[in-house]
Amino acid sequence: MSTPRRALARRAFADARVRLLSFALIFFAYPLATIAGYKKTYPTAADRLSFARSFGDNPAVKLFYGTPHHLETLGGYASWRAGGILALGAAFFGAFAAVRALRSEEESGRFEITASGAITRGGAYAARLVAIGALLAALWLACWLGVMAGGLPSGGSAYQALVVIGVAAVYVGVGAVASQLIPTGRGALELAGAVLGLDFLLRVVADTSGPLALHWLMPLGWAEELRAFTGARPAVLLLPLLAATALLLLAGACERRRDIGVAVFAPHDTVRRPRLRLLHAPAALALRAQSLSLAVWAAAVGGIGIVLGSVAGSVASGLSEDLRRRLGKFGGGSFGDASSVIGLYFLFFVLFIALFCCSQIGAARDEEAEGRLETLFALPQGRVAWLAGRLGLAVAGAALIAVVAGLGTAIGGAASGADVSLTTLIGAGLNTLPASLLFLGLGALLIAVAPRLGTGVAYGLVSLAFLWELVGGLLGVPGWLLGVSPFHQIGLVPAQDFRAGPAAIMLAIGCCAAAVALVRFRTRDLVGA
Amino acid sequence: MSANFGSSPAAVVSTEKPGLDRGAPRHAAAASEPIRALGLSKRYGETLAVDRLDLHVQPGEVYGFLGPNGAGKTTTIRMLLGLHRPSAGSAALFGIDAWRDPVAAHRRVAYVAGEPTLWPQLTAEETLVFLARMHGTVDGAYRDLLVKRFELELNKKLRALSKGNRQKVQLIAALATRADLLILDEPTSGLDPLMEVAFRESVREAKARGQAVFLSSHILSEVEALCDRVGILRRGRLVDEGTLDQLRHLSTETIDVTFAGPAPQIGPLAGVTIERSGANTLRCAVGGSVAPLIAALAGTNVVALHSREPSLEEIFLHYYGGVSDEHSA
Repeated sequence: MSTPRRALARRAFADARVRLLSFALIFFAYPLATIAGYKKTYPTAADRLSFARSFGDNPAVKLFYGTPHHLETLGGYASWRAGGILALGAAFFGAFAAVRALRSEEESGRFEITASGAITRGGAYAARLVAIGALLAALWLACWLGVMAGGLPSGGSAYQALVVIGVAAVYVGVGAVASQLIPTGRGALELAGAVLGLDFLLRVVADTSGPLALHWLMPLGWAEELRAFTGARPAVLLLPLLAATALLLLAGACERRRDIGVAVFAPHDTVRRPRLRLLHAPAALALRAQSLSLAVWAAAVGGIGIVLGSVAGSVASGLSEDLRRRLGKFGGGSFGDASSVIGLYFLFFVLFIALFCCSQIGAARDEEAEGRLETLFALPQGRVAWLAGRLGLAVAGAALIAVVAGLGTAIGGAASGADVSLTTLIGAGLNTLPASLLFLGLGALLIAVAPRLGTGVAYGLVSLAFLWELVGGLLGVPGWLLGVSPFHQIGLVPAQDFRAGPAAIMLAIGCCAAAVALVRFRTRDLVGA
Repeated sequence: MSANFGSSPAAVVSTEKPGLDRGAPRHAAAASEPIRALGLSKRYGETLAVDRLDLHVQPGEVYGFLGPNGAGKTTTIRMLLGLHRPSAGSAALFGIDAWRDPVAAHRRVAYVAGEPTLWPQLTAEETLVFLARMHGTVDGAYRDLLVKRFELELNKKLRALSKGNRQKVQLIAALATRADLLILDEPTSGLDPLMEVAFRESVREAKARGQAVFLSSHILSEVEALCDRVGILRRGRLVDEGTLDQLRHLSTETIDVTFAGPAPQIGPLAGVTIERSGANTLRCAVGGSVAPLIAALAGTNVVALHSREPSLEEIFLHYYGGVSDEHSA
């Protein structure tokens, strides 16, 4: 590579190093922990066979992790349990890497400087793809080592890692195309996220109500059909390979043809009539800026809710008495009807809403990093009122999404003729709030204390707490240690009893963290990017 | 030379009173003083960005705050506004400490930030409306006048505006408040010469209404044209302050002499430095009295003698001596 290309590739790689490190750790540790947990929980062949019989054809678990094969084997279990979740993470990593390198750099104006160097547009595009390729290679290595460290053969482990990274590669393509279509990094990421949401929903439908052939439409389905450790079908790797190549070529063609700074879907930068609503307070302006994002989150959660609700009936009826007992071991509770089964899925809504809270923390921090708060706070506007307003907006947004989650599952359930109660499910939605708001308060504290790192750490906290809840139980760690994850403290109503004590404690911690954040934010210097 | 010079009070010589007067008193005299900073200091780790600064700005005064990049101008402004906390000393706007009570301190102040980072999704008009509501006061008629004067396109979103145009939005929003104190941090960076004229006109209007203007700049012609008093900042220290006339007295005068024949040799004279000697010309820098030079020139065949007061640029360069201050930011 020529020197400017090499410099650009290095820069793009260095920009992603912290993200790469965090993902590599997860991609190493998660399969390792999953496999270790399986060995510990099902030590004998008889245990594994009994587990495979009871879980093998169960829609409830298929919904989470996809259709399992050969659950009585270590490889079958690892591929199903770790592969499915890692594929989701890989998709996010790929899309984010592409949008960050291809659109955010340009949005910030930095790419204009880069592109004025001795480099062609095509060359700059290729250089950044090389950097992303290096990121994926590093992630593949981490995943391979993780699966292998769990005790699986090296060849199969390499293939399993390739299955996961194949999904990432396709989403690099999705992110690259989205970066051509949308002029803002945030918007491009939301478009890529919508594609991933659709992908996930198709996979869920294929795995629960069928037909299974829907798997062939999207990358998450392909990852399942690649069947790592359970009759590998390497030829299927052509699908992600071709899809990624086609998307990247398409994005490259757009990239070479368009002006820097614009996108295929150009927003209207000249308006006929000003919109003077929602300009009376900083929080109102924030609502204006965040309303599209809020709508996207609510629509995604509502859509997932509808699908979950519509398969809940078949899930509930498919539960054997033995399985109910086993599911009960996960956290206790009853799984008599569809509502109860749906309740269990609300753990995912807690994750989504906590991530939404992180995104709101990130948006608030951006106001400071980009210098707008300096203008605002030179006006007669107080800092405490501002941050409180932003947090209030986040609470309202989280509550709205929580209600939409309940509403969506109720609609889906009713549509499939399942016996669900609207009020119960709205209650289940609201029940996600204490844990989510705990993360909101912690996020506020983080950006108040460590402004430059806060947002990233907040996302990290949510992800780690969630993964801890997923693997901690399998590993047989003591209850108190499992309990440090807020996800473990939720009584997933109506499947489980509402746990008022932990809910109150989580809310109280969240409020205290927010209060400390307000004080600290009032008494520290504003910090730029 | 502008007629504005000399109308300001005598230069306040920088005195070192670190740590004094932490809670700015709210008595009547202080309350009428737009800016009053005593021993204002800011330390970032090992770096002392601003070092025991004393500043006083009176109503109706245009104060030029000069300094190269990284001298501490923006840091000083951030402390004045209470955006950053002083490491020592205090700053008060109209007698109110902006760190302790920013909301009250900012009611009579309007600010133009050095970087015009506003809300990209708002149009220029929406931005003006929002900023006016956030400030609480606006002179709508004057704002309309300013929009015309600065030829601002109101219906464009900020993300589509150039840096200069975003700068105009900030300027119009600040000027339209008619605030008693305008704090402007390099307000004309990115403006074209026509807009620079519009800016100067607006500042003179503000001054005529009795508003005080604190103008941070490194555009010397702008400071020379507008400011009653100038403070020169170097590595966080106020190295000089006063009216332009006062600053000139401290500096040297340039005298160009042209002779009919070859320039004569002039011996060492008190306060006179020969800067350049050509075939029949001589350039001298004279500090203090010109009498020794005139005496030395008596009897030589002088055909022309031009005396020039130092420009602000020369005063400025005198203080910086070509030394870059980048590292002291």
